Amino acid sequence: MKVPGMLGPKRRGISGAAINRGLRSGMASKIVGPWDWILAPALMSIGLTLALAAAFQPFGFYLPEPVSPLILAFAWPLIRPSYFAPLVLGVLGLFLDMFWGASLGFWTISLMLVYGALVTARTYIVGQEWIVVFGIFLLTEGLFFSLCVLLTLVDTGVWPRLWGVVEQAFATTLLFPFVLYLLEKYVHADVRFQ
Amino acid sequence: MPYGDNNKHFEHLKLPMTWAVMGVVAVVCIVAALMFLGDRRDDVEPGAYTNRAGFDTVASLPDKALSYPVHKIGDGTNWLDDYFFAVRENRSLKKKVAQLQQDHDRMVELADINARYEKLLNLRTEPPVETVAARSVAVSRGPFANNRLIDAGSNKKIGFGNPVITEHGLVGRIVGVSADVSRVLMVTDVTSHVPVMILRSDARAMMNGDGGGYPKLDFVRGKDSVKVGDQILSSGDGGIFPRGLPVGEAVKGVDGVWRVRLYSNRAPIDFVKVLLFKDFSQLPNGDTLLRTPAVSDVLPPPAQPVGASAPASSASGSSSASGSSASSSAAVTTTGAASSSAASATKPKPVAPKPAAPKPAAPKPAGASNSAAPTPELRPFVPPATTQTTSPAAEGQQ
Repeated sequence: MKVPGMLGPKRRGISGAAINRGLRSGMASKIVGPWDWILAPALMSIGLTLALAAAFQPFGFYLPEPVSPLILAFAWPLIRPSYFAPLVLGVLGLFLDMFWGASLGFWTISLMLVYGALVTARTYIVGQEWIVVFGIFLLTEGLFFSLCVLLTLVDTGVWPRLWGVVEQAFATTLLFPFVLYLLEKYVHADVRFQ
Repeated sequence: MPYGDNNKHFEHLKLPMTWAVMGVVAVVCIVAALMFLGDRRDDVEPGAYTNRAGFDTVASLPDKALSYPVHKIGDGTNWLDDYFFAVRENRSLKKKVAQLQQDHDRMVELADINARYEKLLNLRTEPPVETVAARSVAVSRGPFANNRLIDAGSNKKIGFGNPVITEHGLVGRIVGVSADVSRVLMVTDVTSHVPVMILRSDARAMMNGDGGGYPKLDFVRGKDSVKVGDQILSSGDGGIFPRGLPVGEAVKGVDGVWRVRLYSNRAPIDFVKVLLFKDFSQLPNGDTLLRTPAVSDVLPPPAQPVGASAPASSASGSSSASGSSASSSAAVTTTGAASSSAASATKPKPVAPKPAAPKPAAPKPAGASNSAAPTPELRPFVPPATTQTTSPAAEGQQ
């Protein structure tokens, strides 16, 4: 009979102790902590943003510039409501404001409104087919970038180039598989989430 | 006892999770909205990015580390490219050098003439501007903000508002400075407004960024003042950018709006030059202008007509010994007038130059006239309205 102490360090992962209550390992439940589904993806998002901002133009083309925190703003409320996630999302928005040179609060407001809308609608989305989730993601993305255009108009009095907005939205859409990955990995990962 | 024991009165009092999270979201939104209202970008001011200097310093570090191998690989591929295509490149470069040599000779000649004109007219010329070279380490190129971090800052005397250029043209200007990193606001940013002029028609316009690669050309006045392919330069109006920086070419968008194809987009922006130009305060002030040396201190003495007396020739003002076209024509005209008036007082025959005459009255080179007579005092150019000494003979020449 296996006990938690017998699992060894390799089975524990970098965070969250694996608990095996006498079950086989595949059925064992794992405590998913904030590091797993909030902090680690947030750091990965920051790293991706920094990497794609490198002054490097392969074959004369610019690197894409997706708004990677939007992936987290979409996935986190579907995984579970959390007090910690909106705070981290606010920090991510502030990072984008500072790093991309936008007005302070620009990206934070947009991301938080997406998060708030999805928290209220999560019960209708969780458990749907992936194509439905993808459709809702596109709808959310459209609202998100429309809000960004509106805030830019309010802030500067200038319409940004809409084709550029479409390009950035397309680059963000390419990250949608990470939404599915996060949902698949964390929605039913911890019984306490139910 | 229906719920709990006496020591845990609130164990079954549960706040609805969704509403509690929405409360957190609302608080964060309110804080973000207050920050947004307090950090408007419509006016780019020196203090706007001051609070981001520390962040820029830290954020540039990973991108510096990332760009290092990229640059190394790029240098290696360039070396390979140079090695394999050296012969072809050498042939084309020889043709270019031959062409550029002619252009260079022409440029030296024109620069000399231009310098003489500026001195003759006492023009207020701009002083040479120092430059600082830097390397781009991070780029923000989205539709809502176009910025760039470069690896040079206040340690190299870079300050707010300094223009940034490449070897091709204007890139933007400095809006945030820390010790070793500066933030460049690209001319394509939605908050960028650059006063420009069209070189062909000298018309003025405002180049406004919209987040794309082709900024708009607004406030164009006049019919046919802009045509496709016209070169766009910075006009210097407002004093933010110096006059004459190459910006791009005029193109017409599919929406019928005039736009600018930026020269700086001809090649990837890697190295940039920061002009340590602030504004008009760098130009000489009034006191400096009053101390501008007189033309007589700068130019060689004028040609001296052989048959004319010294006072008459001294009235012929701005004649130059350089032989440049404009000054030569002015010298011929005024010298002719002065010579005729002087000749009418002494000799009956005209002193117009004759090719066959042994001693023509035409101007001679400065060296010859210096040896013949003492050098008259040369004064700056005086408008003709103040000196009404033109004789009918001179009017006939004009």
